[in-house]
Amino acid sequence: MMENTINNNKPHYINPYLGGVLLGLLVLLTVYITGRGLGASGAIKSTVVTTTETIAPSHAENNSYYNRFLSDDHSPMNNWLVFESLGIFFGGLLSGIIFGRVKKIRIERNPKISGKTRLIVALLGGVLFGIGSQFGRGCTSGAALSGSATFSFGGVIVMLVIFGTGYVIAWMFKKLWI
Amino acid sequence: MNRNYIFLTLLMVVLAAGTIFLKEEPEYQQINAEDLLYDVIQPTRYVTTDQIAKMIINKDPTLELIDVRDSKSFEKFSLNNAINVPLDSLILPDYQEYFGIPGTKVVFYSNDDILADQSWVIARRLGFKDMYVMKGGLNKWVETIIKPQEPPETAPETAFEQYQFRKGAQIFFTGSKIEAPGSSTKKEKVTVRRKKKTTAASGGC
Amino acid sequence: MGPLIPNGIITGDWNFVIAILIGIAFGFLLEASGFSSSRNIVGVFYGYNFVVLRVFFTAVIVAMVGLLYFDYFGWIDLSKIFILPTYLAPMIAGSVIMGFGFILGGFCPGTSFTAIAIGKLDGLVFTIGLYLGIFLFSEGFPLYENFYNSGYMGNVTLTDVTGIAAPWFAFAFTFIALAAFWVTMIIEKRVRKNIKEYKF
Repeated sequence: MMENTINNNKPHYINPYLGGVLLGLLVLLTVYITGRGLGASGAIKSTVVTTTETIAPSHAENNSYYNRFLSDDHSPMNNWLVFESLGIFFGGLLSGIIFGRVKKIRIERNPKISGKTRLIVALLGGVLFGIGSQFGRGCTSGAALSGSATFSFGGVIVMLVIFGTGYVIAWMFKKLWI
Repeated sequence: MNRNYIFLTLLMVVLAAGTIFLKEEPEYQQINAEDLLYDVIQPTRYVTTDQIAKMIINKDPTLELIDVRDSKSFEKFSLNNAINVPLDSLILPDYQEYFGIPGTKVVFYSNDDILADQSWVIARRLGFKDMYVMKGGLNKWVETIIKPQEPPETAPETAFEQYQFRKGAQIFFTGSKIEAPGSSTKKEKVTVRRKKKTTAASGGC
Repeated sequence: MGPLIPNGIITGDWNFVIAILIGIAFGFLLEASGFSSSRNIVGVFYGYNFVVLRVFFTAVIVAMVGLLYFDYFGWIDLSKIFILPTYLAPMIAGSVIMGFGFILGGFCPGTSFTAIAIGKLDGLVFTIGLYLGIFLFSEGFPLYENFYNSGYMGNVTLTDVTGIAAPWFAFAFTFIALAAFWVTMIIEKRVRKNIKEYKF
């Protein structure tokens, strides 16, 4: 079964089912308090909108996508998801400290590929995920997890298609990972 | 560990299956518009003052009279054991306890038909059954029971029988009218009815 | 009666404090479960680490079942919660693209934040990529604006689309999830390597 004993080399993670139950309860609590679910990609979007607006305000206003998120009252960063995502960073940091995983800056990769390759692919992956998350109206946390939990049709579709696509194409990129 | 997982799996299955059997207790059952319209057109909701008089005299326990006028009018004069539910309070949850008690026939009345009819429509809309309106209201009541008119000589036999009944009723009511003017006896009855309701409709709190 | 903030039981001023606290809990759980490592995350696609399956699916079924009980007890008004709107074609297209991004990058936005927190450079690069991707999307938006807005079905739930009541979905998901958990556990036992060697 799953071994959770602290091993010199192997990191100590909590039981995944426990993590899942707690995460499910967190989603439930979030919906109970705020009426909405969790999210993450929205924060990056807010960052993009804000920086574009700061650098080139008229361009941002004229673009029909940026425009949706611009408001006269407040900055796009004044947004629930932005604060929540900040929290995600700190929560991750806290857990990393507790479990001893905060270490020097490193690149995690399959030893069979170079660090440079990993970074290029990570960047590419990020770009694709960023583009996809806008079409998809969310990412795995917002659309797939929270959307499915609230029985949203779109949420379930996103979840099934992301993971479905992953399974279908995984063999193509096998060398990156194992 | 395995046993824990088996237990958790079963627990999760039970919880998830449980959601299928959760019964929703709807606060307000509503009948659909077509049914309501059909019912409104039917004259079967009307009961005559004679019928009501008969039920009161016979101490028919299924009769529940609801006076839908305002409380001032109610206190001035009302029918025996009637409960005052003013029209504008009809939809308040507290008052809804008076409706839908199994076995009772709710009869709305007002000075004439109009308020009573409106109350009937509202109550019917909320899905309550066995609702009636006393045709002619209190005006008719006074006409027929308190001051019954002697039918002309050319009237059929049944008219005279009815008049006999009404005369008897007049004595009964104008005599007993003095008996229960106070709101206290009425209120007593009212609380008993309340208790009946809560045992009948359990759950849904 | 929930949801608390939309019903005014907690004022909107608390919104951002609550957001941070919830985020901290979220980030903590993600990192503690092993999602700060890209190799752990993609393990589900290659069959060497099923943490994504276990955490994600468990969370979905717990939240679903929980919501239904909350609704039954009258603790939450389901009509007031946000249901993700469905734009069928663009969402499918976006999810396919995200699938590629997932396999290549090994992260999703939330997990990449936790990866940055513990010093993973690839996590940081992924996040930079997210920024660039969204930027590119926005700049090119006029080209596919029509497609982006197509297929709108409203804020529909599974029940709205299929007519099947929510508890059946909750039960179905639970059943499938639990079945998947047991099957993968059995697979792992047979291929013993999954137990120790592939936790990163």
